[in-house]
Amino acid sequence: MSADYEYIERVIDQLPREATLRAQVAMELRSHIAERLEHGNSVEEALQQLGDPVVLAESYLAAIPLIPASFGRRAVARILDALGVVAVCAPIVWLIAIKTEFFFVILTIGVLLSAAALYPLLAEYFFGTTIGKRAMGLRVVRESGARITFGQSVVRQLPVFLEVFWIDVLFALFTEKHQRAFEILSKTRVVTAMENES
Amino acid sequence: MAARPADGDDRRGIERELKRGSLELIVLHLLSLGEAYGYEIVTALTERTNGSLEVTDGTLYPVLYRLERAGFVAVRWETPQRGVPRKYYRLTKPGQAELAQLTREWNTFASAMSSLLRQQPERT
Repeated sequence: MSADYEYIERVIDQLPREATLRAQVAMELRSHIAERLEHGNSVEEALQQLGDPVVLAESYLAAIPLIPASFGRRAVARILDALGVVAVCAPIVWLIAIKTEFFFVILTIGVLLSAAALYPLLAEYFFGTTIGKRAMGLRVVRESGARITFGQSVVRQLPVFLEVFWIDVLFALFTEKHQRAFEILSKTRVVTAMENES
Repeated sequence: MAARPADGDDRRGIERELKRGSLELIVLHLLSLGEAYGYEIVTALTERTNGSLEVTDGTLYPVLYRLERAGFVAVRWETPQRGVPRKYYRLTKPGQAELAQLTREWNTFASAMSSLLRQQPERT
């Protein structure tokens, strides 16, 4: 991969996984770099003009306001996710229950519950949202607006695994940006999706 | 701890902060002179100020993006005869209003600063 494409990839990589924003910034950067080349600059000079890719990505993101999601919308998103888990798991458990012994039913429920707990962790890391959050027009970002890292996604879900979720949730009622304690800790936020900005 | 006099890096930092704060005004003003694309804006700024105000592409483009999102500039893509598509920026009506507002604020600030800095120590 050539240096300019690699550079653009590194900028894009920081942005939330929204196709339109990524495409727009990539197209813009390609155009700006090409313009420099046409005026006799080298690729290195063009990239030097653009500066550090992470800083550039954060400067672009600074233009997008982060509107904290209300507690109500977050709660509904949670419930939707929980209903989704039930909708997927209930038929499986029922099937196992009529086919096999009690032990396997317990085992299956255990496995499915772990999967349900892991779902937000993976979905928020890979897609920046969950099905419930998406339905409520919410997304998960770093405080700069950049997409969250895997480590941040893990820390966000720690209260579930540590079984302090309900205490953690109470923080979202009182903190300025409606953050849970583990969201403050992981430096992440739940904000409204870009198309929902006013 | 004693205050450390500003060294080279700090000085450049102060200059950078000053520039960052006024960059939107600079860009809006340059666009009020006519539609332009990114590279033109960067070079026009250097030329019109004899190089005393200079920005890098990486500083300018996010500002243009911010102005675009705020609706102060409108954009259009154009592909020249040969070469890559160019993004042209032009001032909108709200952009003109913003420019007028920022210009007023700047002038007020600048005259207040210069009158402050003109003040001499009082003799005792």
